Amino acid sequence: MEIWITAIIYGLASSGILFLVSLALSIGYGLMRVVNMEAMVYYSFGAYVTYTIMSLTGSFILGALGGMLVGAGLGLLVETQLLRKIYNREMMFTMVVTFGVFMIGIGIIQFVWGLEPKPVASPISGIVKFFGGVQIPAYRLLIIVIAVIAYILIQLMMNKTIIGKALRAGIDNRENVEGLGVNINKIFTITFVVASAFAGLGGALNAPLVMVGPYMGFDMLLFAFITVILGGLGSIKGTMVAALILGQVINVGGTIWAPLATVGPFIVMFFTILIRPTGLFGKDI
Amino acid sequence: MSQNSLLEVNELYVNYGKLAVLFDISLKINTSEVVFLVGRNGAGKTTLFRTIAGFLEPREGEVTFKGDVISGMGAYKIARKGVKYIHQDKSVFGDLTIKENLELSSYATGDYDWEPVFAMFPKLKILLDRKAGKLSGGEKQMLLMGMAIIGKPDLVMMDEPTEGLAPHVIQDLAVSFKEISKTTTLFIVEQNLPIIADIADRVYCMREGKIIVEEGCREDIQDLCFEKHL
Amino acid sequence: MNKKLLSILGPVIIVALMIVFRYLFPNKITFLTEVGIFSIYVMGNNILMGYLGYTSFGQPFYLSVGAYSAAIFFAYFGGNIFLAIIVAIVVGLLLSLVLAPGLMRLKSSYFTLINAALCMIGVFIFERLLIDVTNGNDGLWFRGNMAATPLLDVRYPKNFFFFVLLILLIAFYLYQKMDKSAFGISMKATKANPEKMTFLGYNVFKIRSIGYAISIMMSTLAGSLYAINFGFVNPNLGENTRAIEVLLATLIGGVGSVFGPFFGALGFLGMKDIVSTFMTRWEFVVGVLTIIVLFKFNRGIWGLIEDGAGLVQRGRNKKTVKVGE
Ligand SMILES: Nc1ncnc2c1ncn2[C@@H]1O[C@H](COP(=O)(O)OP(=O)(O)OP(=O)(O)O)[C@@H](O)[C@H]1O
Ligand SMILES: [Mg+2]
Repeated sequence: MEIWITAIIYGLASSGILFLVSLALSIGYGLMRVVNMEAMVYYSFGAYVTYTIMSLTGSFILGALGGMLVGAGLGLLVETQLLRKIYNREMMFTMVVTFGVFMIGIGIIQFVWGLEPKPVASPISGIVKFFGGVQIPAYRLLIIVIAVIAYILIQLMMNKTIIGKALRAGIDNRENVEGLGVNINKIFTITFVVASAFAGLGGALNAPLVMVGPYMGFDMLLFAFITVILGGLGSIKGTMVAALILGQVINVGGTIWAPLATVGPFIVMFFTILIRPTGLFGKDI
Repeated sequence: MSQNSLLEVNELYVNYGKLAVLFDISLKINTSEVVFLVGRNGAGKTTLFRTIAGFLEPREGEVTFKGDVISGMGAYKIARKGVKYIHQDKSVFGDLTIKENLELSSYATGDYDWEPVFAMFPKLKILLDRKAGKLSGGEKQMLLMGMAIIGKPDLVMMDEPTEGLAPHVIQDLAVSFKEISKTTTLFIVEQNLPIIADIADRVYCMREGKIIVEEGCREDIQDLCFEKHL
Repeated sequence: MNKKLLSILGPVIIVALMIVFRYLFPNKITFLTEVGIFSIYVMGNNILMGYLGYTSFGQPFYLSVGAYSAAIFFAYFGGNIFLAIIVAIVVGLLLSLVLAPGLMRLKSSYFTLINAALCMIGVFIFERLLIDVTNGNDGLWFRGNMAATPLLDVRYPKNFFFFVLLILLIAFYLYQKMDKSAFGISMKATKANPEKMTFLGYNVFKIRSIGYAISIMMSTLAGSLYAINFGFVNPNLGENTRAIEVLLATLIGGVGSVFGPFFGALGFLGMKDIVSTFMTRWEFVVGVLTIIVLFKFNRGIWGLIEDGAGLVQRGRNKKTVKVGE
């Protein structure tokens, strides 16, 4: 019994990271119809910056903030210097371009930090004991809390601020928002930077759980894609629901049979898309 | 050149990729006029409107508004300059409430005074918290017109605003057109001839990407003299 | 006229280049063989990208299916090299029959990503699920099981090179036929405007499915040749990280052109060969190159060749005019 509860809670932590990391992809596609493969660069940099700052100062919090900032900065750079110029191009073009940027990002990481994976220590080491003998590392619970806070902040931004409203309207019909006189590019830049910061945060939070290596973004890219595809490209709610499902597939599934932790998400997505070609909450776009 | 010309289109050519759609279009809209654009399906009316509004770039020629060249400027800047364009597909932001729809328009223009909107369309005030996607076709058109007049634009362009609406709704909208035209210049694509006969100052006819007739005489418009060109 | 001449000259140029390189750089024979195989792989991807408008981030999956089909054949069933190749092609056909009904309904973005998922599933299957058959990460070795072939024993690299060249030539011949045929044209028309094709009464789904099947069979063919070339296969061949290679090679060669794939393969592998002499990791170079090619040479090498030929032609026309005067 305990192992299932443990698996479910671990699953929630995985969901939290998946959600944070997938936002940039989801928004990029929903608003600008760009599949931005390079989003995982922000995630990787988030993790590496956390590593560097932590080994310099010993503070994980500073590291995570640094990771977020660097993620946001890179997002700003890439969006304004590159993505903006290719919004009107065909999907294939943008995908390959952003993949190229992703490769460049991996190359820079190799150059700066080398090929060796870097270990990042867990910032809090306590174990929280629940009823019935369930024991969960406090750090996993922290991730869940942070992801929930992030989700609430995003919901507030989407529903209460004018930027969020313009964003929702833009996902619905970008041209009409511009027609009102809204500078949609500015809206998108702001949102994209926020999403990149969250990707950086995801990297920072995941750093103690995985090996921080040049290819970490690649592994995550696949999972992030599964998340947004399963949820439906462009639907933030879908991204959230898909992250919740996948977290459970990875952890509960992995408890049932270890290989399911890696391949389970692919199988789930594969069959979902064959049955529902636009994902769970996607519109036909 | 007329002294009170608001919008001028000069020798405009527009393509979709390699497909040429508009040829040598020139026209002029004067301040406080109500001008209609008519033509068969596929004549290029929507293309012309989208080019003026900045969603398409002309291959040749230019559009000037209040004496400034606006073609190539970017749609949102053109809108802020005072040209509002209501799309043919009546697409409000379905996921947002009416209030949020209006808020967006206010955010873009910095004009938060909604009284003129409610004076013209009292119904919107009642439905303020309704999701715009749930509105009827006529209500959507009202909302779009309401959003368009926020910010007091100089020119409102409407692409087939009465398309697909019931006759009594069309009558109501025709009243609104007149109301708006008191403060704003109007440029409208319309297939509904009675409305044109009723309120048009001038009419342009398009066919196959060219303007073939300009009708500026009220009697002739009322007699629908341009109908034979359609 | 000019293009026609080029299309006749295409195969000649390719064979000539390969043979010249073969004797110019005798120690580069495995490299050249790989160029030949990779060309076929790129041709398969070019059908998706250039003719159907689908970008797949999962081509390594199909490649590894072909390679494993051949490898498993050699390891457990027999030594006939031709049969192994045929098995790989047939497996490709069967695979496409299974997958096409689902995949060919998808929007291109979903197609891209589903294929990335297939890649991941493929690695999982070959590495874990079929570990008893494939030896997982240790790879499946079978060089000793391959039987000699009559006339030209292709087990020797020197001969295998000519064998690959022959297959490449046949492939280009058929590819060119396809390009000119009504089917080739209807694929490109479907890419440009699927709705219109449906209106005209074409079965878009069928057109795409056939194109997809051809593409997959070319990939599995290339996979089997890879297997024979190396004498062993391991799951790395099908990894996602390599998906960009074939896309980039297609772009370098010129998307949607008949002979572009060869020049793409040559350009890409040549560059990889050169770069890897002074850099162990070359992601950065690949990334920069991808972006340069996309923004500056979006018609690829074949586009440049065509333009070059166009210039020559125009020059000649001018001359004839002068003569006429
Ligand atoms: N996005 C596009 N790409 C290519 N061609 C287009 C596009 N939009 C319109 N066209 C073509 O341009 C021509 C003019 O279309 P347009 O929509 O401007 O006509 P319209 O006069 O508004 O017609 P309707 O009365 O049906 O609204 C048509 O032949 C149409 O097929
Ligand atoms: Mg129209």
